[in-house]
Amino acid sequence: MSENIIIVMIGISTLLGATGLAALLWGVKTGQFDDKSKFIDAARFDGEEELRDAAMMEEKKKARQKKRADKDKKNYMPAD
Amino acid sequence: MPQVPCTHCNLTFDESVMITEKKGEETLYFCCKGCQGVYHLLESEGLDSFYDKLGDTKLQPAVQSSGDLEKFDLEGFKNKYIKEHEDGLYEINLIIEGIHCSACVWLNEKVLHKTPGVIEATINYTNNKAKVVWDPEEIRLSKIIETIRSIGYNAYPYDPALQEERAVKTRKEYYSRILVAVFGSMNIMWIAIAHYAGYFSGMEQRFKDILNVAEFILATPVLFYSGWVFFRGAYYGYKNKIVNMDTLVASGALSAYIYSIYAMVTQRGEVYFDSVAMIITFVLVGKYLEVLSKKQAVDTLDSIMGSTPTEVTVVNNSEKALVSVENVQQGDIIELKPGEKVVIDGIVSYGEGSFDESSLTGESEPVYKTIGDTILSGSICLDSVIRYEATKDASSSLLHAIVSLLEESITKKPRIERLADQISGYFSTVILLIALLTFTGWWYFGGNFEQALITGISVIVIACPCALGLATPMATLVGISIAAKRNILFKEAGFLETMAKSDLLALDKTGTITEGRPSVISEYPYDDYDKNLLYALVSTSNHPVSKGIKVYLETEGEYTDIPLEQIKTVQAKGIEAVCDDQKLIGGNAAFMREHGMACDETSEHTLFYFALNGQIVTRFELSDTIREGAKEAVAAIKALGIRVVMLTGDHEESAKRVADAVGIEEIHARLLPQEKAEMIDRFHEEGHIVVMAGDGINDTIALAKSDIAIAMGQGADVAISVSDVVLMDEKPQSIYEAYRISRRTYRAVKENLGFSLLYNLVAVPLAMAGFVNPLVAALSMSLSSLVVVGNSMRIKMMKFVVRSA
Repeated sequence: MSENIIIVMIGISTLLGATGLAALLWGVKTGQFDDKSKFIDAARFDGEEELRDAAMMEEKKKARQKKRADKDKKNYMPAD
Repeated sequence: MPQVPCTHCNLTFDESVMITEKKGEETLYFCCKGCQGVYHLLESEGLDSFYDKLGDTKLQPAVQSSGDLEKFDLEGFKNKYIKEHEDGLYEINLIIEGIHCSACVWLNEKVLHKTPGVIEATINYTNNKAKVVWDPEEIRLSKIIETIRSIGYNAYPYDPALQEERAVKTRKEYYSRILVAVFGSMNIMWIAIAHYAGYFSGMEQRFKDILNVAEFILATPVLFYSGWVFFRGAYYGYKNKIVNMDTLVASGALSAYIYSIYAMVTQRGEVYFDSVAMIITFVLVGKYLEVLSKKQAVDTLDSIMGSTPTEVTVVNNSEKALVSVENVQQGDIIELKPGEKVVIDGIVSYGEGSFDESSLTGESEPVYKTIGDTILSGSICLDSVIRYEATKDASSSLLHAIVSLLEESITKKPRIERLADQISGYFSTVILLIALLTFTGWWYFGGNFEQALITGISVIVIACPCALGLATPMATLVGISIAAKRNILFKEAGFLETMAKSDLLALDKTGTITEGRPSVISEYPYDDYDKNLLYALVSTSNHPVSKGIKVYLETEGEYTDIPLEQIKTVQAKGIEAVCDDQKLIGGNAAFMREHGMACDETSEHTLFYFALNGQIVTRFELSDTIREGAKEAVAAIKALGIRVVMLTGDHEESAKRVADAVGIEEIHARLLPQEKAEMIDRFHEEGHIVVMAGDGINDTIALAKSDIAIAMGQGADVAISVSDVVLMDEKPQSIYEAYRISRRTYRAVKENLGFSLLYNLVAVPLAMAGFVNPLVAALSMSLSSLVVVGNSMRIKMMKFVVRSA
């Protein structure tokens, strides 16, 4: 057995693990683990309706952005 | 009559008092109009699946509160709480009151999502804090708050910058460090297993090298990123010329790390990278547990602080503005509305009205104030609009002084940790000396420098204080969480130790042994009368006596709402009103005589008369009742060998009566607040460790002086602030349970400390003799830590006998 195989095996597995670690650290940093009860409780209320709800919120956000953009356009005064 | 649950809030009441309603086949029951309103609102919005999600959880009845909504739209409020995003959206942090279960969170989120203009609404399931983002062009904040109120909850803003942000930041930092440490040590472990296998069966050096380098790469971030807190701690210790546990951890881990690099490069000897990672991981987890127990205290504090107003209405040339409390200066005129809490001390300059000072004095009777009287922060304006001149700024006002005292105590280190720190200080010094001696001894007698260095380092590594570091935080964390489950909140882990050592309990009478509010003990009707009238009359007032009678009447039966007219409240005397052609008068004897009715009864209790058309129809005697289970609790506490003393501001007679009823022999009556504190001082001089339980501001000085202060959850905010332990359910039995839990926890801490010292007593001589290799070090460390964790978990097996009161 050559050393290279061991190096590659350890290297790849550690790298894979490190990717997972990086994901977790990112999760901590963006506050995804701040609410520990949500993991358990929120899962019970996760259904089609909630999905629709979330989609609705997205639409709302988009609609607002659009409205804002329109307004900016309206306010834009071309130089004469 | 059968008990039925309310369709909305699930609280069960007698069927006869419920509001009933037919809906198709089934009958709906509601305990109040509020619940009924919410039910129909949810049904019409198509949100009635809430009730399936709710299951059997009991809610508090929905109270339809209104008023003070306009304050949410004022400029001062906006500056204080609302964060403006770059794209013009507004953001606010709210604490939502009345959330009992996850279904409530779901409902609130759902309703907010349905509200037009709300862009984002997330509610934390753990602490019921919400973040709402909305478009100010589409909706106003007052409308959002109104929406939350309409479904039976209440929301008030809080400033996360105060406590939370700091606590969350430390917590996140620890999360990240622990993640890296756990990842590093777990991976080093499986590489180390290959190492150990090779150790027994023989392995070529070239493979060893690969494993060594891999371990080195993994151990480096663990030592320098996760272990950074220890280097920092050791540095501060060095600056203050003390040896602490951080010194030992840092020096042990660092020397093992450097030696391992040396062993790796020279290809001689064994590497200790796995021990390095393990030391850091274990001790870091211990430190994190400490941070965790502090975090809970912060959450509790936020909800206490959140209910005190952070801005006041300042009147300037007949213009009103909301000014944040910090910006109020002496001489400003402040306007108070009914129900508002005073946050700045001052003198009344316009108007008159009664104030609830129960949080300050413990007296449940409101105090009547007029122009020229002083108002203290912490009291609540009950019934009228009043303007007063600020005589102090916010930071020197009574309430604030004590709140800042509390913030200080949260950052203070628990006392028991200080003890463990002290032990580990000595311990660290001794271990470092022994390591040095071992090194010189081996070098001098053996003559082999490398061998001597290995043995010296192995002493430090094996003596690693993993178990020592985990001993206290692990036990106290389990103790605190058990107490919290029983509605006893310890604000700091260290209080468990102090409480366990205490041998004297001082109890306040009003609000602690007794309920602190008058309740009816007997009724003497002179004549038949319509109880609905009396019920309607007492419902119009917030006075404790009225409330007591209302509660009493509610236990008697059901009442229909009768509209009253010309309601007039006379301060400190009574209420009068007109219904159709009947004149209703309710109040004390003096009020009756004023209206030309003769009454000359005297009683040691409070008397309340009710008259119809100038004829007294009934008389009530009200008195403060003793809390349920007080007698049993006092007996149980005495059985623990604790001296129980009663301190009260009341006169001897009523103090004696209460003391006899609960079985306390030692009474000190007629004490002023500072005399109570002097009593505590005297107990200290006698060498006692004093636990004091009280609820009002009149107890605050004594509470602050005692070693452990216990406050009742419904007591004055200030009393809760200075206290170390809060009893949420207010049961005297909880004081006994708090004693039991703290004693049990303290025993576990002592066992843990004893065990880890014993472990070192065995392991260190072995290391000095040179019998320790990396395998033995790793095994013994994990084992000792596991023993400590297991021993701490045993606290959970505590049994509480449920006594029938």
